[in-house]
Amino acid sequence: MSTTASGATSKISVRNLKKSFGANEVLKGINVDVAEGEVVCVIGPSGSGKSTFLRCLNKLEDITAGTVSVDGFDLTDPKVDLNAVRQHIGMVFQHFNLFPHMSAIQNIMLAPVELKKMDKAAARAKGMELLERVGLAEKADARPASLSGGQKQRVAIARALAMNPGIMLFDEATSALDPEMVGEVLQVIRDLAADGMTMVVVTHEMGFAREVADRVIFMDAGVICEEGAPEAIFSHAEQPRLQDFLAKVL
Amino acid sequence: MNNYRLTTTGRGRAALGAMLAVLALSLGIASASASVLPAPAPAAAPMMPAAAPAAAADVQGKTFAIATDTTFAPFEFRNGSGDLVGIDMDLLRAIADNQGFKVDIKSLGFDAALQALQSNQVQGVIAGMSITDKRKLIFDFSEPYFDSGVQMAVAKNDDTVKTYADLKGKTVAVKRGSEGETFANSIKAKYGFTVKALADSATMYDDVKAGNSVAVFDDYPVLAYGVSQNNGLKIVTPKERGSSYGFAVNKGQNADLLAAFDKGLSNLKASGEYQKILDKYLAAPATAQKTSFFDLLVNSFPALMKGLGMTLLATALSLVIALVLGVLFGFFKVGESRILRILANIYVEIFRGTPLLVQAFFFYFGLPQLTGQPLDVLTAGVITLSLNAGAYMTEIVRGGIQSVDPGQLEASRSLGLSYVTSMRRVVVPQAIKIMTPSFINQFVITLKDTSLLAVIGFAELTYQGQQIYASNFRTGETLIIVAALYFIVIFILTQLSNVLDRKFNK
Repeated sequence: MSTTASGATSKISVRNLKKSFGANEVLKGINVDVAEGEVVCVIGPSGSGKSTFLRCLNKLEDITAGTVSVDGFDLTDPKVDLNAVRQHIGMVFQHFNLFPHMSAIQNIMLAPVELKKMDKAAARAKGMELLERVGLAEKADARPASLSGGQKQRVAIARALAMNPGIMLFDEATSALDPEMVGEVLQVIRDLAADGMTMVVVTHEMGFAREVADRVIFMDAGVICEEGAPEAIFSHAEQPRLQDFLAKVL
Repeated sequence: MNNYRLTTTGRGRAALGAMLAVLALSLGIASASASVLPAPAPAAAPMMPAAAPAAAADVQGKTFAIATDTTFAPFEFRNGSGDLVGIDMDLLRAIADNQGFKVDIKSLGFDAALQALQSNQVQGVIAGMSITDKRKLIFDFSEPYFDSGVQMAVAKNDDTVKTYADLKGKTVAVKRGSEGETFANSIKAKYGFTVKALADSATMYDDVKAGNSVAVFDDYPVLAYGVSQNNGLKIVTPKERGSSYGFAVNKGQNADLLAAFDKGLSNLKASGEYQKILDKYLAAPATAQKTSFFDLLVNSFPALMKGLGMTLLATALSLVIALVLGVLFGFFKVGESRILRILANIYVEIFRGTPLLVQAFFFYFGLPQLTGQPLDVLTAGVITLSLNAGAYMTEIVRGGIQSVDPGQLEASRSLGLSYVTSMRRVVVPQAIKIMTPSFINQFVITLKDTSLLAVIGFAELTYQGQQIYASNFRTGETLIIVAALYFIVIFILTQLSNVLDRKFNK
């Protein structure tokens, strides 16, 4: 395991990460360490590469250059079993991506049954626990189509937690929600943070970032422009680009 | 009667057929008119029937495989119940009875019958085959059992055309590639008429009855049989000198069988049974009686049901194989391997980019020439339909998988599920729902496409219909029955599919 400058154990370690789509270089050399239990919020204008960066952390995107290590496993090493690593990283998407042909509980049970060969009753019990945690136990047998946006995203979070991951990635988890539903989803994420989950959260909710983040990263044009404690980022922005961005969104 | 088959048949009787490529090349259209020279038969045995005993003892109790054509009325064709009948068939069975041997008749098609004989899959061929010098180089023939020759026929109520001279300025219908065509062309300048070549007998007769042509030229037995079946024509000229038909074995082989055939033939001629068989198919009808549509339906029903059975069999086999191919190549197309993707693209482009009919000809006629391995018609037909439908299925599978939101696969992979498990549990179940209407559509198309296999002689529903109106000349009514059967079957099956779709793809 690599260690951060402060000496704490690093869950995620990103070194000189570059990502290109054809001739278009989206990430131009990112270096980040995330410590165990740390909540890192990533902010920045659209097109800055935040989501691509997040998707490199579980290698949903192929990595063009550099390394991404999770729990000490280098994802760019072809010998590393990506499926095994991904079981330790939960991911929540902007558009939920719930499986429409399965009920809420089946969405959650899928991975434990397929990967841990857990028997259905045990998987269901575990799934119900997770649904209770996100406040949706009564929707266990509902199909995603009958759920509201906020409910869908809470089920998606429960699904991402089903394999007991040590890390959670949130990719603009509230961007597709109606305003009145944002709160219920943020509350679930807030609870996870309080439980000590290591999280990387790409978000446009500045107030939320300020409240829950241990550290805020501001990305622009494929590089990290500025990072630091929320207070430093939001109240004492140094870079003109960050000042511009904050002036627009706050 | 089916177009392609008859064209082949006509040509096949003049030339030797496609498999004898070298000979075929040397035989132009001119050879179609080559009359048979009464050359001495090459084998000694058939020339000495008088020396043989009344029955050839060597063939007693044996069974011989004999190949024949699929349809060459009145020599071999299927009657309303789907049984193979005709002059050749009745004669062969009567001779076998007379000589105490058994026959296992294989209805292969003219070209295929000759191929089967040459490769020793059968011991003999009887298929209304003209005895020609070129054929005598590779086959031994029996004594001629039938003398053919071209005749002219006109509409039954036409009293103006009685001789060739009456044809001046008129149009005459002939069958493409037949001896009738060759003969008509040889005298058209002299008598000043126009020749119109049509694909098959039924069309030719309909052309005369419709008044587009005033007369037809065709082989005596074919014309006589048509007249005996009330085709609405009458024969007005005597028989031109034509070819003689013989039973054939491979050169230098099965001399016993050939001797027995000759002995039996001469016995039947002596007993008058030979003439009875000919009269059964060629004598003019005593009274012209037209049966009702209902009678036609009842009479043709057994044969059509056999055909429908074959249609459904070919459809079911083809769809199962096509589904396997479609899933396999469909996954190749959405997969990550460039080589497999290219492979799938080539497959789809070839089979979607060429006509089904050409594919059917290729697998039935072309491939056996290249490999030397003959394919039976069901196999060739199912291969054709499977590969063709498989190409479309591939596109359906590809389209179905690609229309599932890519976020679904990402969500599944992010949970740690493998590509295969993600496909199986997440993507494919959603894709199937999207694909089902297209599958039902392809299923209907493939069922209807089986009708194209009629051209290679596959005895499915359309083919059986063609057989029926080839012998009774009631084209319109028969086709209505055939179309209704397709419609009913497809209607029932699509309704059933839709019910299942609604039930399982809620």
